[in-house]
Amino acid sequence: MELNANAFGRNARKALLDKTLQEALGRTTGRFVAHRDAAAAAYPEFEATRESASRIKRDVLDHLDTYLARFIEEAEKRGAIVHVARDAAQAREIAARIARDEGVTLAVKSKSMASEEVSFNEALQEAGVTVVESDLGEFIIQLAGEAPSHIIAPAVHKTREEISRLFERHLGEPRTDSIPELVGMARRHLRAKFLSAGMGVSGGNFLVADTGSVVLVTNEGNGRMGTVLPRVHLAVVGIEKVIPRMADLPTFLRLLPRSASGQTISSYVSIVTGTRHAGDPEGPDRMHILLLDCGRSAILEGKYREILKCVRCAACLNVCPVYQSVGGHAYGWVYSGPIGAVLTPLLVGLPEAAALPDASTLCGACADVCPVKIPLPDFLLELRSDAREQGLKTPGEIAAMKGYAGVMKRAGLLEAIERIAGVLGQFFTKGKGITGLPYPFSGWTERRDFPAPAAQPFRKLWKIRRGVTR
Amino acid sequence: MNEREELFRRLSAACGGHGIAAGKPHPGEASGTPEGDRVAQFAKAFTAAGGFLLRGPLETALSDLGEMLRAEGVTALFFPEDDAAAREIAEALVPFGPFHLTTGAEVRGGSAAVTAGFRTAEAAIAETGTIVETSAGGKTLLPGLIADVHVSIVPAASVVARMDEALAAFTADPPRNISFLTGPSKTADIEQTLTVGAHGPKKAIALLQWEDTPGGVTSP
Repeated sequence: MELNANAFGRNARKALLDKTLQEALGRTTGRFVAHRDAAAAAYPEFEATRESASRIKRDVLDHLDTYLARFIEEAEKRGAIVHVARDAAQAREIAARIARDEGVTLAVKSKSMASEEVSFNEALQEAGVTVVESDLGEFIIQLAGEAPSHIIAPAVHKTREEISRLFERHLGEPRTDSIPELVGMARRHLRAKFLSAGMGVSGGNFLVADTGSVVLVTNEGNGRMGTVLPRVHLAVVGIEKVIPRMADLPTFLRLLPRSASGQTISSYVSIVTGTRHAGDPEGPDRMHILLLDCGRSAILEGKYREILKCVRCAACLNVCPVYQSVGGHAYGWVYSGPIGAVLTPLLVGLPEAAALPDASTLCGACADVCPVKIPLPDFLLELRSDAREQGLKTPGEIAAMKGYAGVMKRAGLLEAIERIAGVLGQFFTKGKGITGLPYPFSGWTERRDFPAPAAQPFRKLWKIRRGVTR
Repeated sequence: MNEREELFRRLSAACGGHGIAAGKPHPGEASGTPEGDRVAQFAKAFTAAGGFLLRGPLETALSDLGEMLRAEGVTALFFPEDDAAAREIAEALVPFGPFHLTTGAEVRGGSAAVTAGFRTAEAAIAETGTIVETSAGGKTLLPGLIADVHVSIVPAASVVARMDEALAAFTADPPRNISFLTGPSKTADIEQTLTVGAHGPKKAIALLQWEDTPGGVTSP
């Protein structure tokens, strides 16, 4: 997927002016948050399960070499062919080779964020393979020629009218404003593809080391269909998705759906292992697993290791006030929200995405909901300081932050400034807030409105309330 | 050095050469729940996930089931060749509607009829209201995969309390496919409106075979 992360400011402005997107975002994120909160509250062991999941994932990352080796060994023992890609170019090359060698002309694909990282569809299309996205949301945006705007609700920015127009143009279906009818149209169209495709492409929510299994969690059932019906199955998965044992899987299955959509469990969990056995009436004759490094081993080596615990539930997106305002496209790459603001710079390089760690208010809501307890706000701050060290901040920003730090360290100076600012601020802004300041403070106000300084600073009000007079 | 060796060299360097794996699996809660409680919990969770539960004496269940299938416009019924319980129920249902029997292969070949697929569940999970179906022993997955309505036959004794127990049976030598099916196929990808039947069955029905239970239909 094309990278456009450093244009966050411009992208965000565009998103804020998009009325349809704003309505969709308000509706969707609010509902996801409410459902997630209710599910967490209804499950008394939620906190203990989060703790277990975090511990298991930390153990995996501490021994990723061991667990991954075990996964590969077990998967190969059961007939899977395992490939390893260092970077996106290599992943594309391997995928195209697999399709060519297997003689595939049509592939049905279920959701895989990892495959988006490496522009998987383009690679297969260049190799002469038609790739059809089968997740309804992904299918819609594929028809529209757009990118997903949310990890688990990729077409959240599209209205039913827009979707009906797309189905009319691309599938020859009559116009309708009935959502069940639209779903039925996609079902019929995609069913034919499932029955005729030579290859099913999936991602993988988990890789089970002690059995060599790939685990897929879906609600629609497309992941299940694509791994049962076509004769070849290709799973494209990041190396960090390993869990040690099948016995660990329930821990994650108790967290992922609750965190993602507030469900106790998703409609379908498929645990697929190797190729079909002798006598099996269905299942692929060939199974390929394409493991992606693509920057992960470098992350593992550094201070951001724990970001690799992520299970891609999107809970952090939904609670993030920045994501709620601008949606996924503004982040300019595959991952959005707080996880995107940390993961993207780490996967593509900080200079290519230095704008993203700033796309946060550091309110901490993301860390509160993360099912595997990733310290996202700490990482966002740390990345900002890395950006400063790497010379990625403007002199204006640096000067302003130095000035701010200087004032905050001196109580007397702060008080004097507060007093002057209170008088001047009320006079000049008439209490309406500051929307533009001269350089170097313009770096701040370009993208943010600043409230007018209070006529009475907080500390003064506090003293009055406690009866201290001076 | 090939690409795989290269990867492991990078990983070992990053992991700091801890060598062997530490940690123990998270112990699942001991089950020990009485069968009655397990069945009741399964029934509650299954209907909460959008499934329809039928129980009680076979005659009543068949009449209710026939009515439900007719309401969905079902005309063709299919079941695995080697699944005697599923066969028995599908065959007994024929007089209850304009139903005819077909095969999974025919449906897979692109039959235009609205279908119901019958299959005996290998296990059911009380915790989540889940039906477990696998390919172990050459069993077919088509009834729960490509049918418009999926009817699971659930013997009460097959209901386990938690996911851990359902998985434990398959850990040593897993079949190609272990599927957890919980309610119908769903999507909310258009305007966040929950709609059933995205790819898989539009309706999930469980026929609970338990002698001590009063008859009736429990809807979601």
